[in-house]
Amino acid sequence: MRRAVAPLIAVAVALVLADSAIVTLALPDILFHLDTTVAQVAWVLLSFNLVLGLVAVPTAIGFRRARPRVLAAVGIAVFATSSAWCAVARSIEVLIAARCLQAVGGALALVGCLELLVVLYGERRGIATWISAGVVGTATGPVAGGLLTQAFSWEAIFAVQVPFAVLAVPAALAVRDGPPPAAGPAFARHRPAVRPNLTLALLSAALTAALFLLVLLLVDGWRHSPATAAVAVSVVPVGALAARPLARLLRPPAAVEVGAGCFLVAGGLGGLALLPSAELAWTVAPQALIGLGLGLTVDQLTVQAVHLRQPRVEHASWTISARHLGVVVGLAILTPIFTADLEDAQTPAEEAITALVLDAPLPAQTKVDLARALGELLVDQQGQVPDLHAAFEATPVDPADQAALAELEADLDDQLERAATHAFRDSFVVGAGLALLALLVVVVPPLRRRS
Amino acid sequence: MSLRILALPVIALVLVGTMLGVQLAYGGGTFEPLEPADPCVERPITSRSEGIDALTEQLVLIGLDEAACSLDTSREALTLDLARGGPPTDAEVEALQDGLLTAVDRMAADGTLPPASALVDDALDQADLNEFLETLIRAIPDSVIDSALHTDDVLTRAIEDIDLRELLANVDDQQALNEQIEPAVAQAVKDSLLDRLRSLV
Repeated sequence: MRRAVAPLIAVAVALVLADSAIVTLALPDILFHLDTTVAQVAWVLLSFNLVLGLVAVPTAIGFRRARPRVLAAVGIAVFATSSAWCAVARSIEVLIAARCLQAVGGALALVGCLELLVVLYGERRGIATWISAGVVGTATGPVAGGLLTQAFSWEAIFAVQVPFAVLAVPAALAVRDGPPPAAGPAFARHRPAVRPNLTLALLSAALTAALFLLVLLLVDGWRHSPATAAVAVSVVPVGALAARPLARLLRPPAAVEVGAGCFLVAGGLGGLALLPSAELAWTVAPQALIGLGLGLTVDQLTVQAVHLRQPRVEHASWTISARHLGVVVGLAILTPIFTADLEDAQTPAEEAITALVLDAPLPAQTKVDLARALGELLVDQQGQVPDLHAAFEATPVDPADQAALAELEADLDDQLERAATHAFRDSFVVGAGLALLALLVVVVPPLRRRS
Repeated sequence: MSLRILALPVIALVLVGTMLGVQLAYGGGTFEPLEPADPCVERPITSRSEGIDALTEQLVLIGLDEAACSLDTSREALTLDLARGGPPTDAEVEALQDGLLTAVDRMAADGTLPPASALVDDALDQADLNEFLETLIRAIPDSVIDSALHTDDVLTRAIEDIDLRELLANVDDQQALNEQIEPAVAQAVKDSLLDRLRSLV
């Protein structure tokens, strides 16, 4: 059991941070099964990040004198219970309430686990393990969520977390208490590191664009299954893995490493804004650059914000707060942009479809029948990228014209993919802008204080 | 500046530059929906239909282009506007009628309008005539039909006679369309023949 203690605590940290984006690929399923609206289902993602972002620092301050193993155990237990509650939620309101409780438990767990990992591994390695577990969780969350949704259901995302979290409770309680936190006038209390936290917040907002928008594009725009989308976005964590060996090889100064990382994230998002087709292969290079940028920035910035600052757990909580509020700000900025762009994309898509149907090498009656079926289908699917296949299935056609009809269907699908891809372009550009803003925060020299 | 400072930024620049360069070379930035063509520029109209269906399709496609051009919109936007079921505006109805008449003139001018005799069999198949009358009409030689009936004249009369507003309202109801078009075409044929006879007298 003792050997498993530290890994189980690291897994608990990874689970909490994975929950930030784990539901992204399950949102369409949740929307359908809980019979809710797009605006409400977005709160399944938003509520967790907002609550975690808001309670992380107060938790660290309020429970400064609490015993870390008790804090961690209670936090993980609350997280496990609320995860189970999420899995059995049968209404969107209950699911959002459970997500809020999950975030509260998550905040307690993160604060407690940091102290436990420091007790187990020492200051430097303990913080590094806590940060790495968080990066792994953040990067793999959407992949795991997509695969579980496809293989089982959206409920499985929350159900599978319960046994891991339940095992982590005794693991946390098994760790002996470390020395009590310093107090009194000699106790140095550092100010929060503004620059790394601000950079983290901006990068998190940009990474939201990368993960949230990309999976929406893949699932809703290009009509891939959640599992295919999950495999596709797994390029990001793989890219992140390459960051450490590269940094070790080149040994750049910390600011250069973070600056290059921000630039890579901006470049990757720029690449997603300039996709030449709806082939999944075109998303690989931009995602790899985003992953590389993620690996170069997030842990380095977290180290900068936490290292040698007291109280350690408070500064670690500032990084959690910055990251998750960054996600919320990113969603708040990007959601209205891409929803408006998706609505605007409807007219050019319909006009392109009309042009192709009018000019199709098909008998006039077939065109009329198809136009009628398409019209009914488009009315039924207002606001979503439609699947046109049903309209083609419903259109009677002479066997001699079957090939032309199939070609027309492929052409219309291509137009829909073009419209959807184009609709996401501005959001990816804004995401790239946020990453460049993060770069600006890194490269602008600090203001000199007057002596 | 040392290699430690420059190496990673240079690698990042090269990676991002190469990726964006390749994407732009393969059409990145232009992956957009098809732009509607300018309706004021003539485009070739081909049809896989035959007989009256082919003629109708060509007239409608040219007519839509002409109407969209005069309304300063695209053919596709006008089609969607008319198909959405709302009542068409006076300007749309007028532009569509003018467009169809222009289509007849254009097809007559470039010789793509079929002679009346080429449409008789198709028209008789669709018409609800008694068998004796149908056989009698089919027996009339093509040359007689073509000298008695000019396609452009019949079409112009039918287009002027048809209530386009009602036609657009019936566009989803094949039977209602037939009930509206057949009498208009029959009347146009009758009027054309009468005029022809008057000119011979």
